Amino acid sequence: MPALSFNENRFFIPDMTLKQTLSNTVKAIADILYGASIYEMVRDLHKERSHLEHLFILIVFGDLLGIPVLPPYYTLRLLPFVVPNISGWKRNMLRERDLTDLCDQEIT
Amino acid sequence: MNAVYTLIIGFAAIYLGYSFYAKNIHKNIMKPDDKKATPAKMYMDGVDFSPANRNVLFGYQFKSIAALGPITGPIVAVQWGWLPALIWIIVGTFFIGWVQDYTSIMLGVREEGQSFGALSYRFISPRSRSILLTFIYFYLLLIMAAFGKIVGYDLMTNPAVPLGVLLVISIGLLAGQMTYKWKMDIIMTSIVTVVLAFVGIWLGTLPAVQSLFSSINGAVVSTAADGTKTTTYALVFGSVTRPQFIWSLVTLIICYFGAVLPIWRWAQPINYVAFWIVFLGILAGTIGLLIWHPAFPSDFPAFTNWSGNLCAAADCSGIETKPPALGFLWPILFVTIACGAVSGWHSLVSSSGTARQLEKESDSLYVGGGAMFLEMFLAILSLLTAVVGVGVTKGFAGYVNMIAAGKNAGVFAVGLSEMMAKIGVPTSFGLPYGSVFLTLMGLTIMYLVVRFMRVASAEFLGDKVSLFKNTTFGTLVALLISALLIYTGFWARIWVLFGGANQLMASLALLLATLWLMTNGKKYMWTFIPFIFMFVTTIAALLMTAYNLLKQVLTTPDLPIDKVIGNWLAGFIAIYLVIAAVILAWDAIKALMRLRTQVPVKAN
Repeated sequence: MPALSFNENRFFIPDMTLKQTLSNTVKAIADILYGASIYEMVRDLHKERSHLEHLFILIVFGDLLGIPVLPPYYTLRLLPFVVPNISGWKRNMLRERDLTDLCDQEIT
Repeated sequence: MNAVYTLIIGFAAIYLGYSFYAKNIHKNIMKPDDKKATPAKMYMDGVDFSPANRNVLFGYQFKSIAALGPITGPIVAVQWGWLPALIWIIVGTFFIGWVQDYTSIMLGVREEGQSFGALSYRFISPRSRSILLTFIYFYLLLIMAAFGKIVGYDLMTNPAVPLGVLLVISIGLLAGQMTYKWKMDIIMTSIVTVVLAFVGIWLGTLPAVQSLFSSINGAVVSTAADGTKTTTYALVFGSVTRPQFIWSLVTLIICYFGAVLPIWRWAQPINYVAFWIVFLGILAGTIGLLIWHPAFPSDFPAFTNWSGNLCAAADCSGIETKPPALGFLWPILFVTIACGAVSGWHSLVSSSGTARQLEKESDSLYVGGGAMFLEMFLAILSLLTAVVGVGVTKGFAGYVNMIAAGKNAGVFAVGLSEMMAKIGVPTSFGLPYGSVFLTLMGLTIMYLVVRFMRVASAEFLGDKVSLFKNTTFGTLVALLISALLIYTGFWARIWVLFGGANQLMASLALLLATLWLMTNGKKYMWTFIPFIFMFVTTIAALLMTAYNLLKQVLTTPDLPIDKVIGNWLAGFIAIYLVIAAVILAWDAIKALMRLRTQVPVKAN
């Protein structure tokens, strides 16, 4: 899954030219608007996709978590594709959750 | 005083609070270390745990914390006068609001992204997690009642509003179709749908449309001998009028679709279109206010009286239904303005959402503290819509009349339309625009709340009653309970209870922060004192509200049946919240004593 951009974007850094300051400010405002508008949609889509992926891995490789799954031929064929996601999937499946985990949405 | 001075005071408070107080605590007590891997990096799964740019997170945090709360609270609180409300918004944010949001993020970051449920279990007591969950459930229920009444009783009953709202919802569905099915560019989708939304709101203002909705509302206009016109409506049951019944029901139906349909089909694209309407409205209102820069009207009192009794400060002789006194300034003001000064829900968003996406520890102040200070600005703007937006054009008497008619949100719509008028937007469009803007804000929250309640009931009761696992059943139960409170509750009291449940969560967040700071040997008075203040204030507010509710039902003869049911229900919710909070306080004292008497473990 592609990670979101990591580049830091501060408004004012000493020795910066006016053009750089302006361009950084415009970029920061664009990022803030993106965060307030589309970012939540992107997160929801990632969640949707991860639920499907995790369900798929659970069906095929459930025995990694102690859920007995018959080891079909296809499991080994799929293993190379699933390997990058196994650690994240295990953490996600085994993480303790409660209702407060769902509180990352706009409600107030 | 000039309205612009108020904004300057707000900016000065933001500068001083953020640059000195907050940064000092950030650097010297919390000591962020950017070399430490945050949960977003350590447990990155691309979904819950995923690092994001600080500006993107700032936008996300602000949108997640700012909705109807910071808009409605200050308008209601002006009943004590504008000065107490303004002071609490600034002082509350300065000493408590940002502290709570920021420490919630830092707690999440330093404790491996654990949610507040898990942290309460660890730091306070096992049962405190259950208490927190009940606070959340009642908080959600009270949101449904408070916002449902704002939308169904106040905003949608204006005949110029419903068509605009229904069309914007349809356009939101079109946005979903364009984005996800037709795979159209998001910028093109945004431009097309936002322009259509504006056209939709304008269509709602046409006289033919308004007369259609007036006839649906069953409005009966009678003219008195002196020429004054009064509009009355038939009662459906108790004191519930026909438009109130119809539009609350429509609100609940919209919530039903929002709760059962896939998020990309309904909630998400409608929220997206609504975001632009809200954003453009606030931007236009702020620019209009700066151009207008009116002075505070001389008849609008800085302080009315200690009990928030409008009729003691203004002539109410012409008003049929007198607005009741809100209650004594302390403690009621401090829960009336929750969001905008301090709000417990922010701590949950901060710990479960933002803390898991923070790229660097040093970003926490900008994201958590910065977003809260910006919300303070929104609350001040909202206060100004009442004081100058309505005050200058309709006078203090106009404000009193609107509050007496239950048009709390309507005050914001009128104020915003007056501000937008200064940049050339006619009030005939601005007023319905402001109402649609607020209705959408309320609705987008309400269907997320119903979704949440459905998941909560499935989790709590699904194992015992398997029917609760059914999406439709869980949603209908949540809507039925909400409908009961919407149709029977008394708005001013519901709003205080909603603020009370919210502030109890804030107290819990501040308590957790205090316990965490003590555990780590850091200075903790900057969270402990706010905790004590918020806890004592909220308990007092809930007790006073419970007393008022039960007194009204027991002493008022011929109270309509809906108000009897509503008062008993709300009274019991208030009493439950107090009992749960006292149990929490007992556990908190034990946890604090445990930490104070703990002997540090010596290294061998």
